[in-house]
Amino acid sequence: MSLFDQFLIMVAIICSFSGCAAVSMDRAVEAETVSAVSESGYSDSDSQVEGTIYFEYDKYSLSTSAVKEIRSFAKSIKSNSSKVRIEGHCDERGTREYNLALGERRANAVSELLQVNGVPSSSITTVSYGEERPITYGSNESSWSKNRRAVLKVL
Amino acid sequence: MVFKILTALLLIFSSVLTSELRIEITKGIKDPIRIAIVPILWNLDNPPREYLHKIISSDLESFGEFESLLPKEMLSLPQAEEEIFYRDWKLLDVDYLVLGTASAGENPLEIVVNFSLFNVTRERLMKRSISVGSVSYLNSLAHVISDRIYSEINGLPGISSTKISYINQNNFPERKYFLRVTDIDGRNDSSIFSSSEPLMSPSWSSDGKRLAYVSFEEGTSGIYIQDIYTGKRTGLKLQKGINSSPNWSPSDRYLVAVLSKDGNPDIYRYDLEKDNWKQLTDHFGIDTEPDWSPDGRKIIFTSNRSGSPQIYEMNVSNRKIRRKTFEGSYNARARYTPDGKRFVFVHRRDGLFHIAVQNLRTGKLQILTDTSLDESPTISPNGKVIIYATKNKEKDILAGISIDGKTRFILPTNSGGVREPSWSPLLVSTNN
Repeated sequence: MSLFDQFLIMVAIICSFSGCAAVSMDRAVEAETVSAVSESGYSDSDSQVEGTIYFEYDKYSLSTSAVKEIRSFAKSIKSNSSKVRIEGHCDERGTREYNLALGERRANAVSELLQVNGVPSSSITTVSYGEERPITYGSNESSWSKNRRAVLKVL
Repeated sequence: MVFKILTALLLIFSSVLTSELRIEITKGIKDPIRIAIVPILWNLDNPPREYLHKIISSDLESFGEFESLLPKEMLSLPQAEEEIFYRDWKLLDVDYLVLGTASAGENPLEIVVNFSLFNVTRERLMKRSISVGSVSYLNSLAHVISDRIYSEINGLPGISSTKISYINQNNFPERKYFLRVTDIDGRNDSSIFSSSEPLMSPSWSSDGKRLAYVSFEEGTSGIYIQDIYTGKRTGLKLQKGINSSPNWSPSDRYLVAVLSKDGNPDIYRYDLEKDNWKQLTDHFGIDTEPDWSPDGRKIIFTSNRSGSPQIYEMNVSNRKIRRKTFEGSYNARARYTPDGKRFVFVHRRDGLFHIAVQNLRTGKLQILTDTSLDESPTISPNGKVIIYATKNKEKDILAGISIDGKTRFILPTNSGGVREPSWSPLLVSTNN
């Protein structure tokens, strides 16, 4: 404890006995500098987009045309015995973490139909990006409908 | 020559591009508290060039609760109690007056500010106070003084020494995500992590030293903990599916988070000491966005188990769950107020997303914002102010509102899209 601190404590003690308007003592914290880290990040530049399935707002059910498309993907995936990655996405409306869950439901819907059509579950990985990776920016129905999607990528 | 011009241009651009979130009040209250901070008298050989009273005044004014007088508006500049003529200050409608002197401390860079707060209406001294700081960190010293003044007048902690963390996305020259931390006054804004893959959901530890957040750097969502001062970073072991929404327990022993490893998003508790997960909810619906109550006994979260997202509260000890929201078909991402009596959340009405507050006991819901894509509300540690993310002309921006709805502000920045604000706890204690 420095001499000065001792002095302050004395002041405080004297004040608390003598009843002068209580003096408070505050100490500013020296601004520590925050430290930075950087990450180059995962890259999926090797993979090829096989197809995109679109969804209704706040829904993860597949339309009849989507079911048809997924069946034909299943055929080509089986014949090439390729590995696929399905990415689920949402539009910007609604909360981010909830959308992450919704995006996973969309990816799972596609994955399940691929499996029903004979694609082994071991060849499928799914990931949800929620609303974090829109294909197009813009707060209107035309952008939103493009962003509510599941993307099939062949690895 | 060309090089010189380029350098000059670069300097201009880099100064323009520095992202500083500055609070800009767009709607203030009709009758702010009027305060006069008389310029602090320096008993130093080389007084610093920055003016303490200016920083203190702007701290107090930042959320619109106070209005401070400029020195040139003052009729006198008293240096001691006996020099105060209360009538002068009453003429200027001043409610509170602050006088102070700064002198050298024991260490070479130390400054000791002795100041007194006077209630003008009652013509009496309210508080004498001493604040100690460093010449090199004059802002920190000013923040401590203004927080002391704030708490003496309002009976609540001041928040000018707090920080905000947020996510910043730039699309040019390439898409990049930054996790940034800034002082609440916009100073010291810096990136603590950056990645070419999305970053989400920053959350402060209760000790104010670490952030938990979600990063997609492994090609899928993962939860990471980073010490903001040392840079030390730990990734929790990736679980299959979603790893999201981390939030600290009041003791910092646990994180509450969301995993979908069993096929379905549920709420889990991660024990930082034992490095293990414990499942807290088990439902085929989506359970997500958990927040710990300030007393640590309850967890509030979003679930669509009723068919649409609604807010639920769980008693952590017996796992009993109660639905809390019944108005509207979209209620999500609740955060407790520091007193644990209310929660702030996202509420959809007529297709538009607003920030709302609801009383836990009475169930009364109040919509606070009138913009349309509002999300990620975070509450100041004194419970007075909310900062949230919204859109302005298709750009992600941060905005704020006082919890009573009376003051509104925006936090403009010129560095890309900003979102997911998270308010730090109190970092400096000004206890009474």
